[in-house]
Amino acid sequence: MSDRNRIVVTGLGVVCSIALDAADFATALRAGHCGARPVTLFDTSGFAYATAYEVPPFDAAARLHRIAPETVGRAARFAAVAARMAVEDAGLTDRELNQRRGLVAIGTTDGGSHELDLLVAEEIVGGPDGVDPGLVARVPASALSVAVCRELGLTRAEATTFGTACAAGNYAIGAGFDALCRGEADFALCGGADALCRRNFTGFYRLGLLDPEVCRPFDADRLGLVTGEGAGVLVLESEAAAQARGARVYGEVLGYGLSCDAYHQLTPQQSGIVRCMRQALDDAGCKTGDVDLVCAHATGTRTNDSVESSALNEVYGGAPPPAVGIKSMIGHTMGAASALGAIASLLAITHGFVPPTVNHVHTDPDCAVDCVPNTAVEADLRIVQNNGFAFGGNNAVVVLGRYPS
Amino acid sequence: MSPVSAPPPVITAWSALSPLGTGTAAHTVAPPPDGPAHRETRPDHTVHLVPDFEPRAVLGKAGTRSMDRVSALAVATVGDLLRQLPPDRPGPHTDPAGTAVVLATTGSPQAMRDFTRSSLLAAKPYHVNPAVIPSGVPNCAAGLVAIWHRLTGPNTTICAGRTGALAALGHAQRLLANGRAGRVIVGATEEYTPTRAILDLRRQPPGDTRPVLGEGCAVFLLEPPAPQPAGGPVTEVLGVVHNTGPASDPAARLPDCIREALDQCWIRPGQVWAALGARTVGAHGRREQQVLDELFGTEVGHRVAPLPIGDTSCATSAFQLAAALAAPAPTTTDTILVVTSVDVIGTVACAVLRRRPVAARQR
Repeated sequence: MSDRNRIVVTGLGVVCSIALDAADFATALRAGHCGARPVTLFDTSGFAYATAYEVPPFDAAARLHRIAPETVGRAARFAAVAARMAVEDAGLTDRELNQRRGLVAIGTTDGGSHELDLLVAEEIVGGPDGVDPGLVARVPASALSVAVCRELGLTRAEATTFGTACAAGNYAIGAGFDALCRGEADFALCGGADALCRRNFTGFYRLGLLDPEVCRPFDADRLGLVTGEGAGVLVLESEAAAQARGARVYGEVLGYGLSCDAYHQLTPQQSGIVRCMRQALDDAGCKTGDVDLVCAHATGTRTNDSVESSALNEVYGGAPPPAVGIKSMIGHTMGAASALGAIASLLAITHGFVPPTVNHVHTDPDCAVDCVPNTAVEADLRIVQNNGFAFGGNNAVVVLGRYPS
Repeated sequence: MSPVSAPPPVITAWSALSPLGTGTAAHTVAPPPDGPAHRETRPDHTVHLVPDFEPRAVLGKAGTRSMDRVSALAVATVGDLLRQLPPDRPGPHTDPAGTAVVLATTGSPQAMRDFTRSSLLAAKPYHVNPAVIPSGVPNCAAGLVAIWHRLTGPNTTICAGRTGALAALGHAQRLLANGRAGRVIVGATEEYTPTRAILDLRRQPPGDTRPVLGEGCAVFLLEPPAPQPAGGPVTEVLGVVHNTGPASDPAARLPDCIREALDQCWIRPGQVWAALGARTVGAHGRREQQVLDELFGTEVGHRVAPLPIGDTSCATSAFQLAAALAAPAPTTTDTILVVTSVDVIGTVACAVLRRRPVAARQR
């Protein structure tokens, strides 16, 4: 472990229902804003309820330098905007980036599924010949990392889209971390992106996994998740590279872990999650007593929150650190979720506060964690564990630390 | 990316399931010319299917009722790979938590389309079949491979179109180099369905020849080099480079991508025995082949023929790797093979492999 480079985070880009950059995100997290509102992106007639944490309209063209927003899908647009913000936040120019060896890793659940929904509607009306080829080109998830590269003019960077669903943001951070640790790249743009889509909403609705109103993690009366959308992108650099250019540092990526439950497609398994957390802490060189906060996966479903709480208690010997559910504020942003979780963790470390779990009334006795209900608290944070779990039993946990430690 | 200092990992076993059949032999011994194909309309095209592949018939009735085709192909192919390995050999059977799965796929657009279509046409939008919901995410196949074969190591899904298996190979190499897994089952899977045909064919440039569409899955066991020489020739993965080309002509990026891959492996173009492009039908495939012919000469660029299975979209580069491993390379000297791929979305990739005869490893 000691022979690998130390990796720091020098730039953050955020697109979500409550913020359109990292500074706004820090303010909104501290204030406990909740971005839930009625869905406007697709026709919701026939559903008894349709709430989501939708990104309000914004002028993407004003934020993008190279790609025209209408030429890419909604999720790719979010990814490109967040990447552009992150690079600007890091104080890097496109020219500087393209002179270095880089890596772009973007995670997603649904890729261009919003566009696939539109295409299916076109097919119903006009048959297979009636679908718009321009729309077809926006469906593949691979377009997300490609859009980031095109926006930043990155021709040399390795570009990967991770399709590991709701843990994908942490997978992307892990991939960038490994490449940088071994000196295989000089910078990495890591994160995740997803857009609301009708199919995703319909699926969770049909499974009975949606809360009609808001997301309330760890609450006794929680009814499920609430879908969200957005993107989070982090600029990772080696400590030496960041120091050499005098970059502002949000924090350090200390390590991560990956595991697979190999148990059930939809139901999480405690032992797989425990293994992942332990791997991450071990990789980070941390003991359980070192961790000050857990940015929990905390979807607000009955099963996730109780299994995650039990896993935390198992790993932390019955005394886990506070575990907050920021999905109460930004919804379940799917492939962006753990990237935005990592960003929230770094903002919490930088600004010295614990983001709250809002919409909280009564803690579920089955969720034995302090979720810091409703109001942020000031705190001196050194190490934060960021959880991401996905359908398919894909678990990814990233450990972040204050810098200098 | 730059070279890993550790000895390169090796492909110690592989399997494939395609219109040619199941297993290594079906893809090695003089494959027959294009097998039976059938025609489809709207859009008009020809298809090679994996023969007699019905998930319930191949995998049994338990757990397959709602399994999509792209996942079933992956589960079956990984099963064939695992059956090749002696049960007591250190590997997936003895160390499931140290065994990673890295699969390149875009999931099942057919399952996603059918779900949305039924919702849009139903009396109530939620009158849909919940059993197919897991097929709505691209990591369905990798998750099912893990569940089916009890593999609890890192489980990764990569979406990169045709270049997917090469990107997956690079990711697998990185997982090994960083000690994230002891071995990786890496590959790609693709299904033939009418919706895939629409997605693939409707984005073709106007005037391009229609490809024959194929399907299948190919997977490779990537491991750190064994301390003792293997019983047969081994194939080392020397390096993988993948990046993004310009929207107007992704293949324009390929020459630099290949040069970077060769440079980091300390290989000169003149050392390359065979360069395998995707040989896709149409303008993009021609551009890619032109790049290979210019860099390596037409003999090297055409030495190994693609497997005659049709266009397998997201599994394309996995079957190129299979063709590279199956090629009748010289048995007395090291052989360098280059595998490249270009996707219309913009990704380009190059992998450099070295096949070593048994004797050469005992230095």
